[in-house]
Amino acid sequence: MPDEHFAEKSVGVWTLVLTDVHFWVPATVLLAGLAVLHWIR
Amino acid sequence: MEPFAPNTIMLPSTIESVRLRKLQLVGVLCGFGAGAWLGAAEAPTKLVKLGVSPLVVSLLMVVGVFLARWSLPALIRGTGQMRADIRQAPHLIVWGILAGCLWAVANTLTIFAIRDIGLSIAFPLWNINSLLGIFWGYLLFNELRDAGKLRWLTVLGGALLMFTGATLLAIASSAQSPAEHPMRGILAALGAGVLWGTMYVPYRKAYLTGMNPLSFIAFFTIGELGMMLTLALIYGGGPDALFHQLELAKPVLFWLMLGGFVWVIGDLFQQYAAKYIGISRGIPLSNTNQLWGLLWGILVFGELRGLSPSLYAQVIGGSLLMAAGAGAIALSSVTGKEHARWKQAADREGQRYKVDANYVQAAFSGRAPINDASNPSSQRSPQSSRSWLDYLLVIAATTIFITLALLARAPSMALNWPALIELTAAMLIFLLACAVALWRVTRFN
Repeated sequence: MPDEHFAEKSVGVWTLVLTDVHFWVPATVLLAGLAVLHWIR
Repeated sequence: MEPFAPNTIMLPSTIESVRLRKLQLVGVLCGFGAGAWLGAAEAPTKLVKLGVSPLVVSLLMVVGVFLARWSLPALIRGTGQMRADIRQAPHLIVWGILAGCLWAVANTLTIFAIRDIGLSIAFPLWNINSLLGIFWGYLLFNELRDAGKLRWLTVLGGALLMFTGATLLAIASSAQSPAEHPMRGILAALGAGVLWGTMYVPYRKAYLTGMNPLSFIAFFTIGELGMMLTLALIYGGGPDALFHQLELAKPVLFWLMLGGFVWVIGDLFQQYAAKYIGISRGIPLSNTNQLWGLLWGILVFGELRGLSPSLYAQVIGGSLLMAAGAGAIALSSVTGKEHARWKQAADREGQRYKVDANYVQAAFSGRAPINDASNPSSQRSPQSSRSWLDYLLVIAATTIFITLALLARAPSMALNWPALIELTAAMLIFLLACAVALWRVTRFN
């Protein structure tokens, strides 16, 4: 079924992204930036 | 970081040195082109004198960016090519959206930074993004590894010269700004610098894996518009208040969105610079935008008129320092050894995300993917894959811009038209030179 393949692929891609250390560098910086923005506004 | 085994390299170890040199020259030219266009992007916003919230100004520029970012790639390559890129590297959609979110938060922080500490202190603080870009480039993507002391000296020294020059220019251009809430403003400016410097991590990630800048920016803009809209709704007082502000801004919508359109062209060149000379060299070159912004301010809008000789000396000194720094970085070419380290990083990405090695290698050398990997010189001409959807996107964006131009109110301020025409001509020369160079060397691949 194409939908099942799509779901499997999506999960696979997300797993690769979320287990990539490189992803957590900009993600953490983004969260910190949002916190700063919330605090200073 | 992922461990990398040198004996598992899939990509050919070198691309021809002549081609490498050509790609670097294209990257340097794009870096300077990016500076010219990014610097000019602020010019239309100077025409806006209505009491519109800075968040709404930023949001409307992003809407212009969104329109340009979906219509320009459709015009140049067609959305079919974008779909082909996604099939090869679907994970880069996430990276593109993440980069867009980082840009939107950084841009919003700069608005608060300027409000609280003035441009003179804020600008140099967020310009640390180029130093951070060099750090991330070295740490995560093997940039400047095995580059030799001389290249380290020229890149780092050039970035520091530019930083000093930017500080002088910023102080001179807005020394009179009052500093309110200094700690809050400094935090906002530093935050913007860190966010922008880190935004180049997704850029480099995408280009090492082979994504075309024209595809990447399309996803970037989804994150950018989504995040900016969310921020405008949350911090602007909700949908009703936002709608009211948009009504107020109707006569200036065109100028703001024009600013966004100009920004996209600059950013596109910045992306090509990041792709071909890396973020450690590409970001400092793009940061020459401050020089161009100053030229627009002084020559076209008559800013800094009647200031003291010492301030003019600061402007000239700061400009010379920035130019010297940019020159040093532009001359610091990537050696074969360093390029081999880039390839290792590209191979690591390709293996992790299971991207076709042929696709990565082709994109790495600015060529269309070929079926016969044993014959890398057989560059395939890109096939036109424009569909009705592409033409629809271009027509819709053009119609929106024309409609807004008809609604726009002509600015009621004195402009130096000869200087405006000369600067516009200089930008168009950069546009033409970069486009011709990209077409000749890479066919926009």
